[in-house]
Formats: sequence, structure tokens, C-alpha cells
Amino acid sequence: MSEQGSKKCTPTSEYNLFGKVPDKKITGREVVKKPTKRAGVLRDRFFNAKSSVNVEFPYWYTRKWDEQDGDVTIVRRAEALKAAFEHLTPVIYPGELLVMGKAAYLRGSHPMPWLSEAFFMGEEDKAYQEALKSGKLSAGKATTWGQGGGNVTVSEGNVMSIAGKFGLRMEELSVLRKMATKFTGKSVEDIGHKYEQETPGYQEKEALMRSVMCMYESGSAMPQGREVINYYYPLQYGIDGIIDICKKSILEVAGKPEMDRLYFYKSVMIVLEGIKNWILNYAEEAEFLASFEKDETQKKEYLEIAECLKSISSQPPKTFREALQLTWIFHVSVINEDAASGLSPGRIGQILNPYWERDLKNGTIDDEKTLELLECMRVKFTAIDVFATAGLIGGVLSGNTFNNLCVGGLKKDGSSAANKLEMLIMEAGETCESTQPTLSLMYDEKLPEEFLLRAIECIKGGTGYPAFLNNLTAMQFHLRNYGPEGLGVEEARAWSMGGCLENAPGSWMPLELDGETHYIPGGSSGCAGVGVNFLSLPKLLELVLFDGVNQKTAERIFPPHGIKLDTYENLWKAFKKYCLRSIDVLILANNIQYDIWRKFTPSIVNSLLKPDCLTNGKDIGQQGSRYNATFHVKITGNQNLINSIASLKKNVYDDKLFSIDDYKNAILANFGFKTAEEVGSFSFQDQIKEKEYKKWERIHKKSLDAPKFGNDEPYVDNIFKEWEEWICNITHEFKSLYDKPLYVGQVSVSTHGPQGAVTLATPDGRLCGTSFADGSVSAYPGTDRNGPYALFESASCFDHSMSQSVQLNMKIHPSVVRGREGAYKFLDLVRGYMRTGAFHIQFNIVDSRMLKDAQDHPDKYKGLMVRVAGFTQYWAELGKQIQDEIIARTEYQKF
Amino acid sequence: MDIRCKDCLYYLPIDVFNGLCKKLKKNILPDQIEKSCFEKNKKCKYCKNFTLSKDDDQLGTCMGTIFAYPDMIAQKCVDFSQK
Repeated sequence: MSEQGSKKCTPTSEYNLFGKVPDKKITGREVVKKPTKRAGVLRDRFFNAKSSVNVEFPYWYTRKWDEQDGDVTIVRRAEALKAAFEHLTPVIYPGELLVMGKAAYLRGSHPMPWLSEAFFMGEEDKAYQEALKSGKLSAGKATTWGQGGGNVTVSEGNVMSIAGKFGLRMEELSVLRKMATKFTGKSVEDIGHKYEQETPGYQEKEALMRSVMCMYESGSAMPQGREVINYYYPLQYGIDGIIDICKKSILEVAGKPEMDRLYFYKSVMIVLEGIKNWILNYAEEAEFLASFEKDETQKKEYLEIAECLKSISSQPPKTFREALQLTWIFHVSVINEDAASGLSPGRIGQILNPYWERDLKNGTIDDEKTLELLECMRVKFTAIDVFATAGLIGGVLSGNTFNNLCVGGLKKDGSSAANKLEMLIMEAGETCESTQPTLSLMYDEKLPEEFLLRAIECIKGGTGYPAFLNNLTAMQFHLRNYGPEGLGVEEARAWSMGGCLENAPGSWMPLELDGETHYIPGGSSGCAGVGVNFLSLPKLLELVLFDGVNQKTAERIFPPHGIKLDTYENLWKAFKKYCLRSIDVLILANNIQYDIWRKFTPSIVNSLLKPDCLTNGKDIGQQGSRYNATFHVKITGNQNLINSIASLKKNVYDDKLFSIDDYKNAILANFGFKTAEEVGSFSFQDQIKEKEYKKWERIHKKSLDAPKFGNDEPYVDNIFKEWEEWICNITHEFKSLYDKPLYVGQVSVSTHGPQGAVTLATPDGRLCGTSFADGSVSAYPGTDRNGPYALFESASCFDHSMSQSVQLNMKIHPSVVRGREGAYKFLDLVRGYMRTGAFHIQFNIVDSRMLKDAQDHPDKYKGLMVRVAGFTQYWAELGKQIQDEIIARTEYQKF
Repeated sequence: MDIRCKDCLYYLPIDVFNGLCKKLKKNILPDQIEKSCFEKNKKCKYCKNFTLSKDDDQLGTCMGTIFAYPDMIAQKCVDFSQK
């Protein structure tokens, strides 16, 4: 914080530090590795490419959808998807070994007006105005966008900027609008909106959305993703083999009860024909490129690409490269069938290991070639974009699409699953630093030291990955949550991380290769991130204090709670009342949106991959997956809520220094500070005092001095524990569309930025508009004053297996973990936390001053990556809200 | 009609602003005018079945009834018929 009118602070107060003040010079990374020449060229091309959309896929989808009017919906959709896939223009870039992508651009994506269309209509359009009114676009208004990197932030020349990120050629604008108009009133969003209005409390739900207390609605905005894909069927059977399974199944079910199975199998066959043709179109393009290629090496590579594609267009893969290419194709196929972020490849190093070991044995591959292929894979994953609203893409995802690759964990028999291919995957993550796939290590005491140290070296490089995930804690969560659906200990070991931090259930499938059976893990549920998406807890407390009225807009959200806040117990009573009401109105509307999604745009590609959809003839929406209890309530701002409650307990109820009305007045006056918006920074440290600050100084100081989470202080940690136990248990009382209990999800992603931006000052002393603490158990920046182990004690004060993905971020100065000794010390730190039973920890190994310098000189730091909250992102592509928050995080100078 | 790189068979789009020439392997702009080496790609605007809209020069119809747009690449369209 700075004095009135003076933004400059002294160097010691400019950053939140634990330990000594660093030297004046910015400390760089200990080791910076380089990619292979090929991957370096491909990555440079990516760095220079902008996020671009075209309408090829939606055009052919819409055209065929119109033609098939009257057919069974799932079959109609299958025909539409087939047409879209087989008409995609193939684009192969020189030097690529792995080919194919979402659209005919390097960072290509496309609109899906059948899901939602209002946000890319003109502002004058009725659909846009309707969406605005219902609060579906509110989160976008509260979001700041990264101004650099691949974002197309402004329209220029023949290019139009959409949602602050995507570029569209003007010659495609009219047809996009035409398609959007065709789906107006018929999209999942619009039909869902029609029926969600039937739910009790709908007006409150709309008001909640307008206040940005909830970030987005997954049913129409992002119905798939935040889950783990399953590559088993294409690997085991090949595309023709799956078609044969469908043909046989049709003979068994046609004309019999549960006739929907017939239409499902038919749809799978149709879509696979489209995917097959899409692959063959790429093979044809590779041959075309080879036909005039003068460089013999490149010509040979084009022909190899063609040969590989032709083979896997029908048959199971024979080599590691073919298997990698096929898994990539199906990955893209799923993210093209729906708007999906967080479709994770899962434990691909274990899935592909049988192919890799065989090639290694045959002498057809070595470490060098493998590394090159894995680096190429990284570039392809990093280029994945998803087209959606500004609030979702910017405010939640920060432009990332969260394709999470897991290493480690256990095999089906309970032994360590770590392997050498995974070591190379981590190596590629270091040599070819890129945001995706992000890496997560499933920590288990059985993992070898060498493997863990490899991960530590990767993190030390400053990539932000891998995150450490506690295998046993995750298994306990999965047993609790999916046990009623039949999940046992063996299958619990097959879990993996979906999306940035939505751990998802898996299964072991028997891959046969050379007469041997390899049990490979893969996702076995639909989206594990659907439901109430990011309930802002500090904003909810604001509503409690002001009896249901959003002070930012003066709009009443809830009827008065009618509870006099004269005791600590009553404060909780009122909070819980509004909390339950919020979940109730939001989940009812969400269930309707999801029901409309499954009825109108059922998943076909993802369903055919997921056990046991092909076996039982049901898609994901019909609970064809093995596990279906995947709906949740995601919360944001846990730490600010608890710090605020602790502050009120201490200063109002225990010490009786102030009244609730004193606090309300102080909050309205922002404790005598300017707002973050006025200051132009979303970090608490940068805020500027107003003239009348003195009037509020005492209450502000007492609020800041009240016990804070992250210091191993029972006063506040006990409140945290009590809160967690209540919310995790009470959430089970609510039911999903599939009549399964909900669970709590505890990952903020980027929502702590925009949701902080719309929230007034909080009783913990946080100021109006500044970001909340990130994750769910990261300390609020600068408030963790007792060192990392005290933070760990606080963070693990409750049972993390009660909910999905309890998240902790830490920032460490590079000098602290330097050298081999530093690596061991670092590993001990991680182990120390994992052994408390805590679920997750991840690190930024960076000098905060470098981030500040990057904020001031983005061009100097084009490739700089940081860990946000479950994902790594290019600094230049982050919005200022999140940049400020990461700079403000406490930097550990010692441990 | 202008002969722009984005309409050429050898145009490889990188993003909405930039592309590569597949043949010459040099960076090119989509709206760059290149007459010397241009080879027409299959696009709706070059198709006999396409009729340009009278009201909007970015829209039209395919075979008289189906909505379409002139700039769409029609490499994989079975009904494409060069004008």
C-alpha cells in the first residue's frame, strides 16, 4: 500500500516477501533448456500466431443439420458432425511431425452457435440484449484481458476482434451472423433459458449472475471438458474395429426395448466415417505437399505423414508415433464436437508406453527421436483454443484450455506406475517450455526418488509444472464419491486430473499388444466440472452484511435474511442461509441447461471413447459412462471469507471493538482507499489512500491485524475447518440432473480476479475491486508470515479428501532452490506437505521483480510463463487482474 | 476480381493476419495481390453452383437454395464445379 497520491513504494514494501530482501539485480532461472531445432521452429511460429476463428466447421454442421431436419436428434447431430469433420480444410505446416488441428489456422477454433450464439451477435441484436439482461454476459464485463501474446484484442483492417481474444476475417462475418440467427431461440443456451425460468427462485438466479457471484453456466457455455479422455478403443480396435462393434451391436438392439441404443450406435458409425474422411483428407494434403516439395527430407516426412494417416484411418496403430498421432486425432475430435476446455490426455505416458517400449526394443526409436515427438506434441497442445464468451475465456480460463497430462501414480496392482517415457515427457516440458499440456505428478510414496527429482528439476526451470497431487488423498475422494457407483480401490488408482484441477475417475482397460495385455488408465466419466461454477464467497458475505442487496449495483439479490447479526452464530446462520439459497437456485437452472444439452447436442465422439458407453449403447448424457456423480459446486475466495469471518469474530463479537454497522460503513468507504479500478491495479499493495483514510485507519488496521489463515493459528484455522466440513457435507444434499449428490470443487482458476473486481472491501481488510486469494488454501498475498511449514499446517487443517482438488500455490525465489542441494531441499518441502494428507501444491519459481518488469516490458518476455491456479500461462496473455495478483503473492526467500 | 494470396491453392493460413506460401515457403499476407504465381483454389465464389447475394457481397446461395458464402474453401465439397 502507498500513501495518498504516491504510487511508488520503497523496494522492501513493493513485494510481499518471506525472508531476506533480495539483491537489486533480478534473478533469472537456474537452467534454461532449448528445444530441438524442429520444435523450436514450430514453437516460434506459434509465438507469432494469433488466436483465429473461422466458420468452416459450423457452416457444414449447420448446413447438414438443416438438411437432416426430422431425423432422430442424435443421428441428425451425427450427420452434422460428419459433414463438418470431412469438410475441414487440411493445413500442414512445414516441419510438423504430428498433424491436424481444430480449424484451418495454427491457433484455430470456431463458434458453435448451436450451443450459444448471443455473445457474438451485434450489441443491437435482441439475443445479445436478452443475454445481457439475464446476466449471461456479466462476467465478461468484469474481466480484464491480456493485451499481448496471441490475443486479438482490437479489430483492425479485415479482421474483427471477438470477445477480446479471437480474430475473425470480415468476409466470414455475415455468414457467422446468419448461422447465429438460425440458432437464435434454438440453441442450448436459448432453449435452456426458456425452461430454467420455470425453476423456483429463478429471478434470484438471474440476479446472482448479473452480480458475477457465479461466473458461468456450463450447460451451454462449456458442456464438455474438465475430464480425462479415454484413448483405449481407437488404440485397441482402430476406427474400423469400432465401426464393426457398432454394426454388431445394432443387430442386437434394433427393434428391441431401449431403442435409443440403436440410434447411438448408428450415430457413432456416422461420426467415425466423418473422422476417417477427415484423416484421409490430411493424408491427401501431405501427398500434395510432397508432390512439389524440393527438399528431400521434408518430402520424405510428408510422405511418412501420409502413410501414417492412411494406416490409422482404419487400423489400430502399430508404432509409438502412430499411437501418438491417433490419440491426438481423437483429442481434437472431442474438442471439435463441443466447446470443451480441460479435456485432459491423462496418463498418456503410461497409455503409450507399451508401443514405445516395443519400438525401443526394435530399434526404431530412441530417446532423441522420442523427445522430438513429445516436443511436437507440446506445440500442438499449446495451440488448442476454445471459442467462448469473454467472461469464460478471460475471466475463468485466462485463455488457457487446461489439457492436463499426469505422470506417476500407481498401476492397477498398486505398484509404482512411473516409467522412463514419463521422464522424457517431463524433459520435453523443460526443453520445449510451453503452456500445454500442463503436467501433474500423482505423488505416491512408492514413486522412485529419481522420478521425483526429475519433476523438481522441471519446476525449478520456472515452468510452473508439474503440480504435485496426492495420490492417496485423491483415491479417498474417488472412493467416497464414486464408491456408490461401484468404484473400488483398484479402479480408484486409475484416476487422473481432468482440466486444470478437476480430478476425474478412471478405469483400467486391457490393451493387447503382441499377445500381452497391458491395463491402461483412462477417463471413465463425463465432465467433472459441471454444476455451480464458482460461487463467490466474499461477495456472499457482502450480501449477508447488507441484507441481500448488491452494494455495487444497488440491486436486491435475495429477500432480506431477517437475522440480526448480533452474535457470531447468527452471522454464520445468515451466511449459510444465503449460501444454500445460492446453490439451490443455481443448480436447478444448471440441471435444466444440462438436460437441454444432452437432448439437443448429445456427445457422440467423447461418448464412444468413454467406458462403458459402447458396451451399453448409451451416450454420456444418458449416463453411459461408468461413473456419473460428476456435478459439483465450485467455490472462490475461501480464504478471504474465512479471514473476514475471523476478523468479525475477533473485532466485533470477541473484543467488541466495533459494531457490524461500523464494518458496513468502513466497507462502503473502502476503508478510506480509492478503488482498484480507480488506481488501475488489482493488487492490494498498490492501493492508494484517500484523504479521509485516518477516519478508517483504526478499523482497517484491526482488520488487517486480525488472525489470518496461513500462519498455523488455531483461531482462524478452526473456523476454516468448521466451514469446510459444513460446506462439503451440506453440498451432498443437493442433487444433479442424474440424481447424484453434488460435491465441492475447490479451484479458483482465474475467477478470483473478476469476482474480486466486483466485490467491495471485505472485513479482513482486503480492498474494493482487488483480487481474492487464489486457489483454495493459498494464503492471501502477504498474510502468511510464519513460513511455509506454518502455511502447510493451516492448509491441511481439514480433510482434503472431502472435496475435489484443494489447491495451494506458492511462489519461491529461484535462489532458494538452486543446485542439487536446493533440489533435495525442495523435494523435502513437497514431501512435507504431501505427508499431511494435503491434496495439491504447485509453484512459481520466479523473482517477483521479473514479473513486474515483464508487466512493464511485455515484449522482452514473450515466452515467460507463470503458474496461475492449476495451469501455466504465458504472462503476456494474462489479464492485469491476475498479473497483479501473482506479483502480490508472497515470495519465499527461505524455507 | 482481385487476385489475392488467400484465394490461392498454395496459401497456408497461419492466422487471420498471416500465411505462408506452400510453394515458395515465404511469409505472405492473405490480402496480398500476387498475379505472377497465383493458382485459383476451390472456393464457392469460383463455383458454378454459387450465386452471390444481391444484398450482401459476403453471402450467397449454393444451388439456388442453400445459404453459402463466397470465400469458403470448397476443396472437399463434392458439388464444387469450377466456373
